[in-house]
Amino acid sequence: MGSGIWSTDVYDAADRYRRSTGKSAFSYSDSGARTVHPALDPRDATRESRDSDEHPRSTPVAVLFDVTGSMRTVPRVLQTKLPQLLGLLQRQGYASDPQIMFGAIGDATCDRVPLQVGQFESDNRMDDDLGRIVLEGGGGGQMSESYELAMYFMARHTVTDNWEKRGRRGYLFIIGDELAYQRVKAREVAGLIGDDLSEDVPLRQVVDEVTRRWDTYYLLPAGSHYAGNATVLDFWRDLLGQNAVVLDDLDAVCETIALTIGLGEQAIDLDEGLRDLDRAGSGATGTVSKALARLGRDRRAEVSTLPAFRDTASGVTRL
Amino acid sequence: MNHVAVVDLGYGDAGKGTVVDWLCATRPVHTVVRFNGGAQAAHNVVLRDGRHHTFAQFGAGTFHPGVRTHLSRHVVVDPLALAAEADHLATVGVSDALDRLTVDGDALLATPYHRAANRAREIARGADRHGSCGLGVGEAVAYGLAHPDDAPRVADCHSPALLRRRLTTLRDRLTAELGTLDAPPVEDCLPAFTGFAGRVAIVGGSWLAEALRTGTCVFEGAQGVLLDEWHGFHPYTTWSTTTFANVDSLLAEAGRSGDVTRIGVLRVVTTRHGHGPLVTEDPSLPFTDRHNATNPWQGRFRFGHFDAVAHRYALAAAGGVDGLALTHLDLAGPDLRICRRYDTTDRLTPGPPGDLDRQAALTARLLRSRPVYDDKPQDWPAAVRAELGTPVVLTSHGPTADDKTPCGPLLAPPTLAHAA
Repeated sequence: MGSGIWSTDVYDAADRYRRSTGKSAFSYSDSGARTVHPALDPRDATRESRDSDEHPRSTPVAVLFDVTGSMRTVPRVLQTKLPQLLGLLQRQGYASDPQIMFGAIGDATCDRVPLQVGQFESDNRMDDDLGRIVLEGGGGGQMSESYELAMYFMARHTVTDNWEKRGRRGYLFIIGDELAYQRVKAREVAGLIGDDLSEDVPLRQVVDEVTRRWDTYYLLPAGSHYAGNATVLDFWRDLLGQNAVVLDDLDAVCETIALTIGLGEQAIDLDEGLRDLDRAGSGATGTVSKALARLGRDRRAEVSTLPAFRDTASGVTRL
Repeated sequence: MNHVAVVDLGYGDAGKGTVVDWLCATRPVHTVVRFNGGAQAAHNVVLRDGRHHTFAQFGAGTFHPGVRTHLSRHVVVDPLALAAEADHLATVGVSDALDRLTVDGDALLATPYHRAANRAREIARGADRHGSCGLGVGEAVAYGLAHPDDAPRVADCHSPALLRRRLTTLRDRLTAELGTLDAPPVEDCLPAFTGFAGRVAIVGGSWLAEALRTGTCVFEGAQGVLLDEWHGFHPYTTWSTTTFANVDSLLAEAGRSGDVTRIGVLRVVTTRHGHGPLVTEDPSLPFTDRHNATNPWQGRFRFGHFDAVAHRYALAAAGGVDGLALTHLDLAGPDLRICRRYDTTDRLTPGPPGDLDRQAALTARLLRSRPVYDDKPQDWPAAVRAELGTPVVLTSHGPTADDKTPCGPLLAPPTLAHAA
């Protein structure tokens, strides 16, 4: 007697029952929907992450992933993995009161649903948002997707108490495998989001705006069409520096995101985080260690006995 | 022979799972009925081709196509662990385990709040741990006894509003008593429980009566009689009736009292996982158990010589059996001895159920007792039969059904046994 070796995780169990009924987690998409679900429609929308009695110090985390054809099965794998993210963050205590938002990115030049954004949630309701995402599966073949539109939305259409009250950035993870377009086109913004811009916004400016309020990471996973493609990685390294991260095993996506947040919140250093994963029985330590080696190394290098000042916007101490 | 009940006459881990698997391999079995315990059971079954599954809530006959599992109202049901177990079964070739499962709607639910409370209490006990598995089974039983009208039950999973209310009340009561619990919010728990109700057949008490009319059922016990809530060595016991008492009540309700062959399972090496008396414990015995690793809740797996005194006591507490299944005979090497009496007594007598002071005094006495050993038996089945006054009707020399040999007519396979 006496082992209890089978998982008793609530998120995991809900997902297992859902799968075992033969109902796809992407039920909205798989039922034939080809238009954005009202709950995920960015038009005239603002997404909020607010403090509450239950969650007095909310930490917003946004995960937006590319759903075009070049990502192949990646979105479906992400859909099965991402519901565990909240539990992982809560268990490890890397961030106070995490609130997670999921969204999806397509190609505004040729897709029907180029941008889908859920709400920040601190419970299983975010699973519902995942289930409402339309998998575009198209894409234009020009090695570009409308990541710039997603960044524009995050920069101008999100409000977080973490920023308003505490001057702290949230976390934005974009998971994809292609380049962004060089300009946020006023015409696309008018059509999809409803803002009236007098002119296009250059990509650099959007990146500057979004990174001011969001600690932004680009994850390039294995299994996607352009994975390992130096052009894509160089493009994002140029925009985001070390925050462009290669992920060689998609199974490790939640752990990678959780540890990145733990490092960002200075709750752990990389070695501690990897030990946490190991203790929790995660098989992902190799992948995570590889993906985050640059981040971890640099974060540790910041420890100094010299006088330092605190950049409250990033929460990172610099010399 | 019609129905069969399999109960462990030790501290668990004697091999009930492998015996149930063998029964289902050698005759047509309609349903394996679980009648005590919960997700903390760990009944290991290994197939000839090496596939292995640790059965916790599914019946140990599940590898055999068509054999159903019924969780009776005496089981504490954990839908979360059940989902994970079903997934593992799928990876070893059993994709329809959930389709072959029925659960009594009156059974108590184990929830993340029970689990968290269980762990909080066990941690608070420090060095005096009871050897709990940390899954909240006892906590669920205790709460069910204290608050019978509020305790979350399996049928509640069909009514999210009711379940939400009961989970909230449960969480609030346990939090008030123990402080903040390491468990997810109620809202987060609901999808898992409603998902369970949407997937699994939840039935009433008459389902079992019908199954008992339709074909042979095997009642699979969990834990062991020496851990019984009333007859075990208090406080190192489980919150579960591990004797045949629940089998008898289920048969009586179905109008089939006595229609059962009672099998007691014993291992030639007496073992215990968790704290509490194990008089014949001998750390120098050269054994390891690949299915019972050291874990934070029960510590290491403990081995002892065959404790005939304790097993005689279990046999008496269980009210006797029709035959014994003796397992792990492949381990009976030159080091293994038999203990027929302790230095303090040669006989332990069961008391009336419910007298825990008496049981605690018995525990204290056992903790003082030293084993007296006789020479190692030449013929283990003969020695065990003589010592317990009961025939050995099945012997097992290894993990698979092929390693079992029936002795005598009681468990002999019918001529038209279906293939393993």
